[in-house]
Amino acid sequence: MRREVPIAITFFTGVLLVVAFFIPHEPFGSLEQRFNDWYIIVSGFAMILGLDSLLLHHWNKVSRRSQDWFHSLSLILAFFITLFWGFYSGIHTGNFLSAQSTFRKYFYLYVFVPLQATMFSLLAFFIASAAYRAFRADRFEATLLLFSAGIVMLGRVPMGNQVAPWIIGFVLLLFAFLLYSDGRKEVDSLRRALKFGGAILSLLLIYPLAWFFLKYTAATAGWIMNIPQLAAKRGIFIGIALGGIAMSLRIILGIEKTYLR
Amino acid sequence: MIVQSFIFLLLVSFKPAPATHVRAYDTPNDAGGSVTVKWDLSKDDSIVTKYEIIRIIGSPNGERVSAGFVLRGTNSYRDVDLKNGQKYYYMIRTWADGEYSDSEITPTPAIPKPQWFHTKRVVALVILVIFTLLLWYYLQLAKKGAPLWIRKIAGLEAIDEAVGRSVEMGRPILYILGLGAISDIPTIAGLAILKRVAKKAAEYEAEIIVPNYDPIVMVAAQETVKEGFMEAGRPDLYRENNIMFLTQDQFGYAAGVDGIMVREKPGAIFLQGLFFAESLILAETGHSIGAIQISGTTSVTQLPFFIAATDYTLIGEEMYAASAYLTRDPLALSTLKAEDIMKALFIALVGLGTIFESIAILTGAQGFHFLKNLFNMF
Repeated sequence: MRREVPIAITFFTGVLLVVAFFIPHEPFGSLEQRFNDWYIIVSGFAMILGLDSLLLHHWNKVSRRSQDWFHSLSLILAFFITLFWGFYSGIHTGNFLSAQSTFRKYFYLYVFVPLQATMFSLLAFFIASAAYRAFRADRFEATLLLFSAGIVMLGRVPMGNQVAPWIIGFVLLLFAFLLYSDGRKEVDSLRRALKFGGAILSLLLIYPLAWFFLKYTAATAGWIMNIPQLAAKRGIFIGIALGGIAMSLRIILGIEKTYLR
Repeated sequence: MIVQSFIFLLLVSFKPAPATHVRAYDTPNDAGGSVTVKWDLSKDDSIVTKYEIIRIIGSPNGERVSAGFVLRGTNSYRDVDLKNGQKYYYMIRTWADGEYSDSEITPTPAIPKPQWFHTKRVVALVILVIFTLLLWYYLQLAKKGAPLWIRKIAGLEAIDEAVGRSVEMGRPILYILGLGAISDIPTIAGLAILKRVAKKAAEYEAEIIVPNYDPIVMVAAQETVKEGFMEAGRPDLYRENNIMFLTQDQFGYAAGVDGIMVREKPGAIFLQGLFFAESLILAETGHSIGAIQISGTTSVTQLPFFIAATDYTLIGEEMYAASAYLTRDPLALSTLKAEDIMKALFIALVGLGTIFESIAILTGAQGFHFLKNLFNMF
């Protein structure tokens, strides 16, 4: 019974909501909104469970003097200061986030918002470090990624069309130099000829490629974003949608029971 | 002076041209009580301040009330909170600096009524019916014991390796369920993977930490981990205190989880669920402490970050397939087979659509647009 009753409730609710999706007539039309309202009410009460877990977890650390217990103590203190300051400001001004509220001014605007912004701003540095690893041209796919990302970046910045030929020219020149240096050290004559040939080809490509990117960097970036990128994204979307239907059917039919005890 | 005054008077008392071709009809695919009004913009739309929608109840000479206003450039309005079965006529009053002109009254009444079927969702219904039929077919096959083959998913194969590595290093396992609520399917999929991880952790006597963003998800995670430990025969190792609530603030949660990573130095990190802008902050911190990371999400915008920063990534549907893949339950596997057939149908449709549309554009033969027209109908 411990499993059968929740499965029966899930089945009934799931089927009802699927039917409601296709019937706008009342009482089906507003059913989804009503269920969402109930969920919000339940989750509001569940917050008590969350707070209980949070405080108990950190109180245990403080009482046992576990490693870094003072972090836990600062969390408990911050929790109660926030709570009581919020109540105090709310009672005094009618709304704890009103313009006159000291809580809003000294805590929310001067502490909470800057802390959030600090965490968010870390993302810029993390993007750089992740991009450095992802764009290392050690495989064909990674080289392709590096090349496409380079074009998209150049295409999305001001003056991208003007800057791109210089960058492309420099890269090709560097490539030619590396191939020439490698070729000089090569013992095998065929490999040496191939490397010298590659170096000459790189030099010959500088002008046409620089001309192409002078004219079409922004357009090429747009093409990459709108055609191959969007096609891959839509492919993933279709897979996610079908996977979502399969998962929902598994839950409704009681095949998927992991979330139950 | 007289001429200037005359021009000024003309400008002040300028009546804008009225809106034309006003039509009103019952709003389709709704629960009733609503009428959609449309009109052609006034010729003087550039100087119009607003369009006032006048509702006339019962007959063209009936009671007139103002239903609402829209700004210039707008040519439609949805009038709501109406009585089903009642006749309504409409008129548009075009305002320009205190002066107005009225349009013609709609020639036929609009009668709001509720609909029993949403005609714009026919395609969704067809997909659901086909999917259900396929599911039923594969369920029958599974019940008969037919072997159902599914491809290898590297991210799921690596779970045991990640848990084992963490145990060898003597470090805990960190499982992050993201910012999803229990009503989000990726969270439920994440819980399915958590059960497997918890079971393995219990078998190897490893510690598992699950910081949560949502209190309901926390309770579900506690139950899931407990169940995993019980299945492994080690309920004594279960620590409820390790599956805790952090905060419902996005970056507060990221900061909290990052703190746990840096302090506890887990050997394996699982990021499975719904993630937003905090995904890379978490994954990069995990990378910096040298943990093996297995990520999975259905947020398409976060997938590139996970692919760049973690060792294995479950891309979208692979995450949904995890529970069936890990349990090898024939009934669950049958849903994956049905999903694969549906996917093949979609690929065929996309392929055919591309071919037909290309032919139609190249040859100008309108008949080849039939597939596009069919989908545009719904």
